[in-house]
This record gives sequence, structure tokens and C-alpha cells, in this order.
Amino acid sequence: MRENHLKILQYVTGIGIFFLVGLHLLLMHLAKGDPEDWTSVAQRAASASWLAAYILILIFGIYHGLHGVRGLILEFSLPDRAVKVLNYSMLFVGIAVFGYAVYIPVHAF
Amino acid sequence: MEATSKQKVPLPNRLGIVGWAWAGRYKIERYLYTLHRLTGFGLLAYVALHLVANGSRLWGEGSWESTLNFLSNPGFKVGEYLVMAAFIYHALNGGRLMLQHLGFTLGKPKPPIYPYVDSMRRRRPLTLVLLALIMGLAIYVLVAFVIYG
Repeated sequence: MRENHLKILQYVTGIGIFFLVGLHLLLMHLAKGDPEDWTSVAQRAASASWLAAYILILIFGIYHGLHGVRGLILEFSLPDRAVKVLNYSMLFVGIAVFGYAVYIPVHAF
Repeated sequence: MEATSKQKVPLPNRLGIVGWAWAGRYKIERYLYTLHRLTGFGLLAYVALHLVANGSRLWGEGSWESTLNFLSNPGFKVGEYLVMAAFIYHALNGGRLMLQHLGFTLGKPKPPIYPYVDSMRRRRPLTLVLLALIMGLAIYVLVAFVIYG
């Protein structure tokens, strides 16, 4: 994938995070009762729309965060081989974090 | 031909991370850019902690309650506010950067007549409005944190 495509994805995921996390925060704070209470947590865990929202936030968040970090590291003018290692490391970290993080809501669903 | 291949070699980043803070007469936008990075790191650290805390749900209600008890100390509450402030800053400044990168807020080109005004200074009002908005929202969230806990 070309760098400018990755950058456009960075913008798209940023906008996605803004709306999804904003919605998440709003709904959590507008909800009646304590949103951190076990009953309320279990209720959200059983909802398919919350599960979909969590998965989308995860995908957008992991991509946005790791691509941002990658951009900072690339500023240090790495040789081609190191860039390749960096790209694969980021991909590996992203998949590992997604695997762990998605297991939590999927297990609770 | 040789000149083209030379252009592909990236310039060395001699200043490294020190260049984030100082490399001559930086304007306010350059410091906003540095703060954008720092808030990004902060948000990443929060997401990691949030995932670990949410993971405690896997071991049932008891584990969840004890995690919440651990996280309810005042230090974490202050941290939670800083995360909200960082989120507001990172999102709004990110929007500004996005608009600039895509050319929407660059304005029309002007002939170079003395005294020269670069495009950065011409779009400064947008930066100032954005900063006022960030400050306003950060204060609003602070008040909400103090009132509602």
C-alpha cells in the first residue's frame, strides 16, 4: 500500500474514533445508574450493537495508534531493511493486540 | 539520472527527539504539533491500561469489582481527566492538521509583497479559535468531573 493511502486511512480512522468514542462516552454518561456497575456491564456485553461498536473502535484505534507511532519512528531515517522490520512488527503487534482485545467482548457476548 | 536517485535518500534526522522541542524559531503551530504527539502517546498508554482493566471482566464480577476499587483512587481520577483533555486536544488539533494537509485552510496564494506574511500566519486566527475551543471544552469537562465525580 502506498504511503498516501495509509495516510488517508489514518484520517478516516481518526474521524471514526472521534465519533465512535464520542458516542461511547456520551451514552455511558447519559445512561441511568452507574455504567460501571456489573449488571450494566453485563447488559452492554449482551448487546450486538455494542459489540459491533467495540470491534470498530478497536480496529480504528489500533490502526490509528500504530500508524502514528510508525510515522514517528520513520522520521529517524531508517534504512530500507529496518523499515520492513518495523512494518512487520507493527502488523504483528496490531494483530496481537486486536486478538486479545476482541476476545474480551466476544467472550462476554 | 543520478540526481533523481540522490533525491530518494532521506535526509538524516540530526536533531532527533530534541528537535520536537527546539530547532530555531518555532511558531505556535509547531508546538501544537509536538503536543499532538505527546497526547497521542498518552492516549495510547490509556488504551493499553483500559484494555487490561476491561480484561479483568473475564474472571467474573469479583475481579471486575476489585479492579474498579483499585482504579477509584484520586490519582486515577486526575489521570482520567487528563485523558479526556488529551482526547479533546488530539481530536480537534487532528482535525485542524487534516484540513491543512488537504489544503482546505491554506487560503489563496498571495504575491510576495513586503512585509511578507506567510500562510502559517494568515491562518493563525483558525489556530486561535481552535485553542479557545479546546480550553473551553477542557474547562467544561473539568467542572463536570468536579461536580459529578
